[in-house]
Amino acid sequence: MKINLTVNGEKREVEVKPQTRLLDLLREDLDLTGTKEGCGKGECGACTVIMNNELVASCLVLAIQADQSEIITIEGLNCQDELHPIQKAFINKGAVQCGFCIPGMIMSSKQLLDENINPTEAEIKRGLSGNICRCTGYVKIIDAVKEAAHKMKSRGEDDD
Amino acid sequence: MTKRYVGKNTLKIDAESKVTGQAQYPSDLKFDNCLHIKIKRATYPHAILKDLDISGAKKIDGVVDIITAKDFPDLNTFGLIIKDQEVLIKIGEKMKFMGDALAIVIAETEEIALKARNKIRVEIEKLEVITDPLRAIEKDAPAIHEDFSGLCTDYLEPNLNQKNILADHYLKKGDVKKGFREADLIVENEYRTQHIDQLPLQNESGYALYDDKKDEIKIWAASQWLHDTQADVAQSINMSKEKIRIIQTAIGGAFGKKEDVSVHIHLALAALHTKRPVKLVYTREESMIAQSKRHPLIIKAKTGVSSNGYLTAWSVEVIGDTGAYASSGPAVVHKGMYHCTGPYNVENIEGTSYAVYTNNTYGGAMRGFGTTQMAFAYESQMDILAHELNIDPAQFRYQNAYITGSVTPNGQKLGKSVNTKRTIESVIDLAKWEGEINK
Repeated sequence: MKINLTVNGEKREVEVKPQTRLLDLLREDLDLTGTKEGCGKGECGACTVIMNNELVASCLVLAIQADQSEIITIEGLNCQDELHPIQKAFINKGAVQCGFCIPGMIMSSKQLLDENINPTEAEIKRGLSGNICRCTGYVKIIDAVKEAAHKMKSRGEDDD
Repeated sequence: MTKRYVGKNTLKIDAESKVTGQAQYPSDLKFDNCLHIKIKRATYPHAILKDLDISGAKKIDGVVDIITAKDFPDLNTFGLIIKDQEVLIKIGEKMKFMGDALAIVIAETEEIALKARNKIRVEIEKLEVITDPLRAIEKDAPAIHEDFSGLCTDYLEPNLNQKNILADHYLKKGDVKKGFREADLIVENEYRTQHIDQLPLQNESGYALYDDKKDEIKIWAASQWLHDTQADVAQSINMSKEKIRIIQTAIGGAFGKKEDVSVHIHLALAALHTKRPVKLVYTREESMIAQSKRHPLIIKAKTGVSSNGYLTAWSVEVIGDTGAYASSGPAVVHKGMYHCTGPYNVENIEGTSYAVYTNNTYGGAMRGFGTTQMAFAYESQMDILAHELNIDPAQFRYQNAYITGSVTPNGQKLGKSVNTKRTIESVIDLAKWEGEINK
């Protein structure tokens, strides 16, 4: 069956099977391999994307459920070849080690900061609670989200 | 000398490719005309494979081939330290844990490969399943590796079933009998730790391609011991090392789990057999069943201490459950034993350690390599001793802590960067510990 959806601002029409997951659609059909599969059970958060302004584990969403939806993946984050402030902060704070959790981690950070540009440390932890990282121990990831919040806030104020 | 890097913050060279999702982990690669692999694994942890019927599975539309041990009769066993692991279990031989491979199913899609795998019929003769290393070392326990000749030393108790003991080690420093005679208090306990999965977020996965012009196999997979894996793959399939190229992709975490061969040999065989690109991605469950774990250890610790709180003697016996295969087992139990006293000064030490075969998933390398299990035992001993002596546990640790010049259980004199006392001071500070230490 055919579905229509918008991925990273681009309208796409994709032929899918009933059992195709949103994760497979992104990785196999659209070649957006930045979204990772760690467990296939919605536990690890490596496959996190934003669907209709909400975080989803794309391994738990069937492709047909994404019909007419708007999806943002890690590939949709850097606009006009400039890194998003969250991406910059993850690099600068040394928050990236093996990197496999990072696309999901950054999508969760984006959703958090889009909803709340002033998160407390507890709110950051809650915002990232669906994403497992096995390398870093989270300290530098939390630092990165704090720095990104700070940069995004001051950028927002400059715009005013 | 100018400091170019040390003491300076250097940005990770591949961080940008990772925050943009461009870094390529094994399963992110794409090959045209690629086939998909699923592995049929053991159906029982300890059993003789009587028959393997792949005829029904082969008939499924889209199945390209199913490889069994019959197709490659000359394969050699493989393994990190000791080559005791079969690539594919032969008819009449034993499966020794649930991860043993029986057949390599190759199909046009992953879905078809999975369907075909479920159609394979396996006939087995069940044997006693040994999950407890203490059962494995009983004289009447069946040998898990029947043709294993044993590597035990004379130090090991002769009443143990050495057929299931992979390797043993012995440690002696000072005079442990004298040390226990000098002790005012002796505490003896047994500690047990459990299997732990390293759980790197990226499961074992990879691609392989056979280049018939060069007679060369290329494997794209994440590996911790690239060249050892190359050599192991080569010897197991009887090709020269130069004919095996392993291309390191981005590695999605490993923590010891990717020291062992996983997808590599099966990929190589499938590529050789089909002459097409092949892909194999483990599921999380498969990764947990088929690849290494942190060794569960049984640690029997006996510690002597003087009434004013100084350690006089320490003896330890460490039994490691190495599971069905050796992997890093001989080294893990060795290192664990050497760390039996942690960062504390003890003049008189004696230890034995051994790795025992069972039918559990094999133990391998994981962050700390045997030392974290030991920490659970020695820190528990320290707490119990402090409590019995009625000394503040921080003070008790502090007055026994390593300093520059301390000698470790294996006789290494610590020359520099001995920060145990500073660490204890920081912990007291950070934990807002109310006891006081007498420096």
